[in-house]
Amino acid sequence: MSHEHTARSHTGRHHHHKGGHRHDTGGSSIDFYACHSRIRHWNPGFRVGFSIILLLFCILANHPAVSCVIILTAAWITVGMGGLSFRRYFSVLTIPITFILLGSAAVAVDFSRQPIGDFHLYLFWGYLYLTYESLLNTLFLILKVFGAVSAMFIMTLSTPSHELFSVLRKARCPSLIVELMHMIYRYIFILMEVQRNMRISAESRLGFGDFKTSCYSFGQIASNLFIIALKKANAYYDAMEARCYDGTFAFLEEEHQANPKHLIAAGIYLTALMSFWLAIR
Amino acid sequence: MNEPILQVNDLHYYYNDNQAALNGISVSIYPGERIAVIGSNGAGKSTFFLNINGVLSPEHGEIFYHGTKITKKSLPELRKNIGIVFQDADNQIIASSVKAEISFGPMNLKLPREEVSRRVNMAMEYMNITEYGDRPPHYLSGGEKKRVAIADIIAMEPDVIIFDEPTAALDPLNAVMLEEVLEKLSAEQKTLLISTHDVDFAYRWAERVLVFCDGQIIADGTPLSVFQNDEVVKKASLTRPVMLDVYEELVRNGLLADAGVYPRDMREFRELIGK
Repeated sequence: MSHEHTARSHTGRHHHHKGGHRHDTGGSSIDFYACHSRIRHWNPGFRVGFSIILLLFCILANHPAVSCVIILTAAWITVGMGGLSFRRYFSVLTIPITFILLGSAAVAVDFSRQPIGDFHLYLFWGYLYLTYESLLNTLFLILKVFGAVSAMFIMTLSTPSHELFSVLRKARCPSLIVELMHMIYRYIFILMEVQRNMRISAESRLGFGDFKTSCYSFGQIASNLFIIALKKANAYYDAMEARCYDGTFAFLEEEHQANPKHLIAAGIYLTALMSFWLAIR
Repeated sequence: MNEPILQVNDLHYYYNDNQAALNGISVSIYPGERIAVIGSNGAGKSTFFLNINGVLSPEHGEIFYHGTKITKKSLPELRKNIGIVFQDADNQIIASSVKAEISFGPMNLKLPREEVSRRVNMAMEYMNITEYGDRPPHYLSGGEKKRVAIADIIAMEPDVIIFDEPTAALDPLNAVMLEEVLEKLSAEQKTLLISTHDVDFAYRWAERVLVFCDGQIIADGTPLSVFQNDEVVKKASLTRPVMLDVYEELVRNGLLADAGVYPRDMREFRELIGK
């Protein structure tokens, strides 16, 4: 059965993450980790708030030592307290790391007509050059971005989407947007499932044998997916109507009271971080 | 007999202008009945369900709920009291966690928070899915999704529950679970309508069978009377229940005395030959 395939492919990833299943890493595995985090019972508002404050602090402080502290503590919260294995945490981080490294390379390297800088490379229309200072600045920038990303991952890797939506709703985000997020999130997984099944069935009929047939199969699957999306939207609407849908999306939301211990610990941590920054500034 | 809970008079519904999906359906449904709705694909079963739930509005015909005629104004009343468990749970589940999903119906009924919470917990216990409460639906197996879809409707506490082909795509273990749930709902005096292609299930479970064919009800009666009517069986392209065939074959070959007691399941059959 197709649904069981989803469940199995996710549990399968536990055992051989580096093995197969390369086609659907990223988004869906982050979602899976979030659902199994050990710090999920914390108040979602607190988790989201804490990681956003930490993120902002990392950017505003703009100091490599502060960034390092945040990188380490964020890893400790997600891995140590959240119970995510270090290898998986690292594999999730590789996604932003790639972008960070590519992006900062552009910041580090400059362009000139003269051979200046500490290192330079002649290209026939001019020179690409690097200085020690620009290298150091880039390193600090990488640390800062990396710190900010780690802070954000405290939230991402412990908050399943429905909790995030309810936090957004409580934060007075327009209900139209929150409702759309709800539906889009649910729909992504349904369409992924449908797409995977169609792809597998095309593959089993040699639909991806060579480049030309691959293009053809891909096009067929894409257009079919569109039609199925429309059909499913109709079926969905009927099912919602049958349950008295009247135009507003309303779900029961769990009230996790924020644990005072967590608030105090977060307060102490942020104060310590602040004083550390003030001391070394 | 007492007053029907739901009465349908001469219902017509067209999907396209030329072809009638429902062509003059009239039926009365009484409180606490266990009705199996059978008929081939495209015979109009699902369309009929969507019509009596008020999702589709008929071209022509009347629906009475507890004796009151359903108009545009009283449509919500119909939806409140008649719940449909859809065939494909993936077309029904909309929320991103099981608990939120089950709360969708009760929240739409505008119940107070405590009542919604009570009903959600009750429905999860009923379907034995309390431990999945916080999971997103896409990490559930097919059988688990079906349970969530049923809990969705139980939480709304309707009088009439419609199951659209519930046994399709269920493994044997989940099919047994489903029958237990149906038994429990029956004991609570809920009126149940189930569409199915499983004639053996219809034969042993139902007390009344409606046979759909080309948008019409061509037979309405006890399972025994319907399946013994060869003309109906042929016209609706049904097969006869195995238990009925076995019993009649045994009687014909003189292995069993014809006492007119038709066994509906294995337990009754064992009792019969044990005597």
